Amino acid sequence: MLRFIIRRILGFIPVLLGVVIFTFFMARAIPGGPFDFIGDKSLPPSVVKNLEAKYHLDWPEWEQFISYLIGDELYIGPVKIFDLDPETPAYSYGVLRGDLGPSFRYRGQTVNDIIGRTFPLSAQLGVMAIILGLVIGVPAGIISALKQNTWLDYSATFVAVLGVSIPSLVMAPLLIWIFSVNLGWFPAATWGAKPPYFQNMFLTPGFDWGNYFSHAVMPVFALGTGLSATFARLMRASLLQVIREDYIRTARAKGLHESMVIYRHALKNSLIPVVTVIGPMFAALITGTLVIEQIFGLNGMGKHFVQSITNRDYAVVLGTILIYTIILVFSNLLVDLAYGWLDPRIRLDA
Amino acid sequence: MFSKKTLLLVVVIAMLAAVAAQCGAAPTPETVTVVQTVVVTKEVQGETVTVVETVEKEVVVTKEVEVMAPGKFDNKVTLHWNLGTEPPTLDPALATDTTSVDLDRNLFVGLTDFDPVTGDVSPMLATDWDVSEDGTVYTFHLRTDIPWVHYDPKTGETVQVTDADGNPRFVNAFDVEYGAKRTINPDTASDYAYVTYIIKNAQEVNTGEDADGNPTELTLDDVGVKALDESTVQFTLENPAGYFPAIAGMWVLRPQPQWAIDAYGQRWIEAGLIDTNGPYVLDEWIHGGNMRLVKNPLWINADDVQIEVIDMVMIEEASTAFALYENNELDTTGVPLPEMDRVKADPQLSKELRIAPVPCTYYYGFVNTKVPFDDVRVRRAFSAAIDRQGLIDNVLKGGQIPATSFAPPGIFGAPEPGTVGQGYDPELAKASLQEFLDEKGMTLDEFNSTYDIVLGHNTSEGHAKIAAAIQQMWKDNLGVDVRVENQEWKVYLQTIKKTTPIEDEFHIFRLGWCADYPDENNWVYEVFNSEAGSNRVRRNCADPNCEETTGPSKFDELTAAAGKEQDPQKRIEMYKEAEDILAREEAAYAPIYHYTSVVVTKPWLTRNYPPLGGADFYNWKIDADAQMAAMGK
Repeated sequence: MLRFIIRRILGFIPVLLGVVIFTFFMARAIPGGPFDFIGDKSLPPSVVKNLEAKYHLDWPEWEQFISYLIGDELYIGPVKIFDLDPETPAYSYGVLRGDLGPSFRYRGQTVNDIIGRTFPLSAQLGVMAIILGLVIGVPAGIISALKQNTWLDYSATFVAVLGVSIPSLVMAPLLIWIFSVNLGWFPAATWGAKPPYFQNMFLTPGFDWGNYFSHAVMPVFALGTGLSATFARLMRASLLQVIREDYIRTARAKGLHESMVIYRHALKNSLIPVVTVIGPMFAALITGTLVIEQIFGLNGMGKHFVQSITNRDYAVVLGTILIYTIILVFSNLLVDLAYGWLDPRIRLDA
Repeated sequence: MFSKKTLLLVVVIAMLAAVAAQCGAAPTPETVTVVQTVVVTKEVQGETVTVVETVEKEVVVTKEVEVMAPGKFDNKVTLHWNLGTEPPTLDPALATDTTSVDLDRNLFVGLTDFDPVTGDVSPMLATDWDVSEDGTVYTFHLRTDIPWVHYDPKTGETVQVTDADGNPRFVNAFDVEYGAKRTINPDTASDYAYVTYIIKNAQEVNTGEDADGNPTELTLDDVGVKALDESTVQFTLENPAGYFPAIAGMWVLRPQPQWAIDAYGQRWIEAGLIDTNGPYVLDEWIHGGNMRLVKNPLWINADDVQIEVIDMVMIEEASTAFALYENNELDTTGVPLPEMDRVKADPQLSKELRIAPVPCTYYYGFVNTKVPFDDVRVRRAFSAAIDRQGLIDNVLKGGQIPATSFAPPGIFGAPEPGTVGQGYDPELAKASLQEFLDEKGMTLDEFNSTYDIVLGHNTSEGHAKIAAAIQQMWKDNLGVDVRVENQEWKVYLQTIKKTTPIEDEFHIFRLGWCADYPDENNWVYEVFNSEAGSNRVRRNCADPNCEETTGPSKFDELTAAAGKEQDPQKRIEMYKEAEDILAREEAAYAPIYHYTSVVVTKPWLTRNYPPLGGADFYNWKIDADAQMAAMGK
């Protein structure tokens, strides 16, 4: 087991390196650069030249890449290019030492600042939405599988199809309109915009839980209901398949009580498809969802995935994709470990 | 059965959180003591020599903004405002966008200001200024009673900044000189440095090259800005420029606090570090989340500033901001297009509705070297066939102003819309195209099959709607077929560059232009002059790829001369003629509309709508009792 984990983690290194190389050169291959224009105006070439010199974009691309990897300090020696902190001498330290570089769009901010600031909120939203999705979706799926072709099944399927079909783009403004503007139950926006539930992942003691959840409830609901529908459909299909397996028939033949058959033997196995989708879904959700963040005015990471590409903000593009990849490979590892636990036939060490 | 997995999830989250906390420059509210090198600038009396000395001292720096004590701002007159986006910077030398520039207006004073009603240049830090005979030397006389202040977000105290000797600092001419030179310094890499190129040697120093492209010998000391004494600053220009007082009021030339910038580097604009001199100070800036300004009690006109606290959120989605407005959580906001009809029908909201000017113009550029748009009759036909008012009434619905020339009202020298240039004239359009067809011996069908005319715009729902409407107008009024193509923004901007090979260009492209400073020079000259402007429409070109021009045209000469002219009345006349030539005689482009913004404002807020846009919160007033009552407090 431990050897399996170690082998997998070592295997991540070439994957991450490949992603960095690919993204680095692809981002620079898109037409246009970060400093061509402000608004509708083109900048004079002389000004672009100054900006490119400041951020080393005038270097050959392979040199930019080495400096991105190992940092300017190692690459060209202690040249002060980016005054960030008065206390520490200012270099770019390179991604290998955890410095994701400066943002071109938000002058004076680094990619580490941006991700450190936006990731916690996106992660809170993503985790809560997945939990809500599981809490609603898995039981709904089980019920409709066990009561197949009854009104319970039909209504659960109907709701699930509805949940999958209504995009959050529609759901979110609808929630705001009903529960915020008309009923006044929940605040419309600005979860995470104001202290104290902002920067720290772990919330400070003596903190206002009511306020926190009143902000969180609508975004989590808008995101979680769509997930619950997906989970319900998967769970139903998978459980229906599992209860037709031979070993279930065997269990019944032994004279086990039906609830025991389902609970002990069928459920665990039928969770495998759900766990499989949770892996990539987890990575995608906790790194932010653009639409929900946009509509509820959340200061999350999702918009930076999109905006950084529009702005040709290369370091932010790389930083967000790198964080996403890291989370993705680790959550896939967890999924593989979960397989071993859910299905005794899967041996990880083999 | 979920317990193990849930546990696993929690562990993973905890690990990620720890990583994020490390990643995010450890936002712990700790006070640390560090040794700093502070560069102090002293002025020796009677001389303009500055002595720079370096001292080591112990300073206590707190990086994290304190969690707001409840009630700190209770019972203060508070404006709730939506910035709409995270401001990319507050640094006056680096700001480029309207959000940052608006905030800088409230934090830093300029040499000059713009009248909130007329948009004319008015005195601010400079009480008056003289111009030399030849119009190349501007001497600004400064008031010396505006204090530099530092605000401590923890205590809420605003104190005047002192120099190394403990003397209070007032904004002086040396701060102006420093600010200008910092913007021009190529190491600062200021986007807007190019507007300072009118200052002597600024271009050469900023680009590092002389006029022939050789490395320059000049340094920042050779730039034509000099503080003669504390209250006098002199700008020497390359050429006479009647519009220079407007440039002098721009954010990039505002006085900047050298001591703070030297001490904190690029972080000097953060709350708790920044030193300012305007009507407001920065209390809090949670990047991407919210920002708070509070009134500067030491501001010279503090008694006239009624709003004490400005709470700002950064909601990008217009419909969400509008929901906040309906919940009384914002005091004013823009109206999203889908809500427009409801707002107009609602008895209360319609009273709160107001159309505010925005100094921008939407236009379609013709590529003047691309067949058949190299013929003025075709260009004129396409421009005259656009029903601007119809477009505004049926598609835009925001009370925009139909444009017949380039610069919008409020810009110095801009003609009144509709008086000069080219507007909607379907008869003229038809006749003009017919004349072209007759000369070429073509039928309309042949025209359509010969030229595959393409209109380009950047990908956006709004631009697509406008393009579809205008495409239909061309079909109805002229009978021509036009294909519409869209491209991603940055790809699009590459396509419509003047240097793009002509075969890759569209025939017609859409673009907008907004004022940097309120003068026609920023418009007709900088955009369309074939010698010095960006001239994306390729007017006056000798070859399709516009490598050579055909020599200065009347328009080029007029716009160049108008910039150098000192007499305001003559300048207005010259620009009027130039605008007419550009839009009507040459029909180099099709002006479409001048922007507006549709805003709703709560009855308790009295605000202005300056012709140049922007938000000068210090001029606004709030009826706090009515506001509190509405919010149920």
